[in-house]
Amino acid sequence: MNIEANERLDAKGLACPMPIVKTKKALTNLEPGQVIEVQATDKGSTADIKAWAESTGHQYLGTVEEREVLTHYVRKASESEKNGETKHEDVTELEDLRSKVDGDEDLSILDVREPAEFAFGHIPGAINIPLGELEERFEELNEDDELHVICRTGSRSDLAAQKLSGKGYKHVRNVVPGMAEWEGPTDKTN
Amino acid sequence: MANTKVAIIAANGSLFDAYKVFNVATAAAASDAEVGIFFTFEGLNLIHKEGHKSLPLPEGKEHFQEGFEKTNVPSIEELVGIAQEMNIKLIACQMTMDVMSLEKGDFVEGIEVGGAASFIDYAKDANMSLTF
Repeated sequence: MNIEANERLDAKGLACPMPIVKTKKALTNLEPGQVIEVQATDKGSTADIKAWAESTGHQYLGTVEEREVLTHYVRKASESEKNGETKHEDVTELEDLRSKVDGDEDLSILDVREPAEFAFGHIPGAINIPLGELEERFEELNEDDELHVICRTGSRSDLAAQKLSGKGYKHVRNVVPGMAEWEGPTDKTN
Repeated sequence: MANTKVAIIAANGSLFDAYKVFNVATAAAASDAEVGIFFTFEGLNLIHKEGHKSLPLPEGKEHFQEGFEKTNVPSIEELVGIAQEMNIKLIACQMTMDVMSLEKGDFVEGIEVGGAASFIDYAKDANMSLTF
């Protein structure tokens, strides 16, 4: 599994509590919303990173285990995503999207989360363009499609939906709240 | 865990005790908790300028030395450094220092010296109180 991250931390060979302590330190150099990859060999680190992320408000994305090395992915918390306010007017509730997905409707889903978040679980068939790359890559999207824009909580997708509307896309819907609540089928990127 | 306060009493001085104290303390600080440790009686060894670098294993447990080396556990010196860097409050017990004829200068940098009342004052609104 090849997952993009903004920063890599080598905590291999270190025992508890060092993987957590080092992760905490490394995260201060990251911008909110960026992703760090933490390599560790401490078998307790998976449970620890998960619990640590939970208690600090950062987002644990997942762990890839390869041979003896555990690679954890954590996304730095972003304040603006927590207030839950959205501005884009055309909104699709998550359950409505779910019934369309379950009904095998032909859908365009744009997932604007970071590639590492996308890799650990996305709606089958969704296209991934992270919010930060949308400005350069929006032309990959078909203007005539009804675009369902989704992220984790509905905040980044709100910004993306506004941006696309500004570019002249007329059928853009922000899916709320987002993947955090999604219970339908998901694919992982290999 | 921001807005969480952890109060720890370190009252024993072996290498095992030091790991219990500093592992929990640094993990809590890494989780954004405010952490304070009150070192009393043999616990003072854990922050003694020279003493903390060569803490004894408990009697009869010397064979664990190898395990510590094999698993690459950080040294206590390293953990004390991390604790200082993370602004963990290290409070040495004045009364024990007097009994043992120790001065503030006998300890690692940045410690505070206080009596039981200062620890109680720190711990009165703690969310977790731990004793080792």
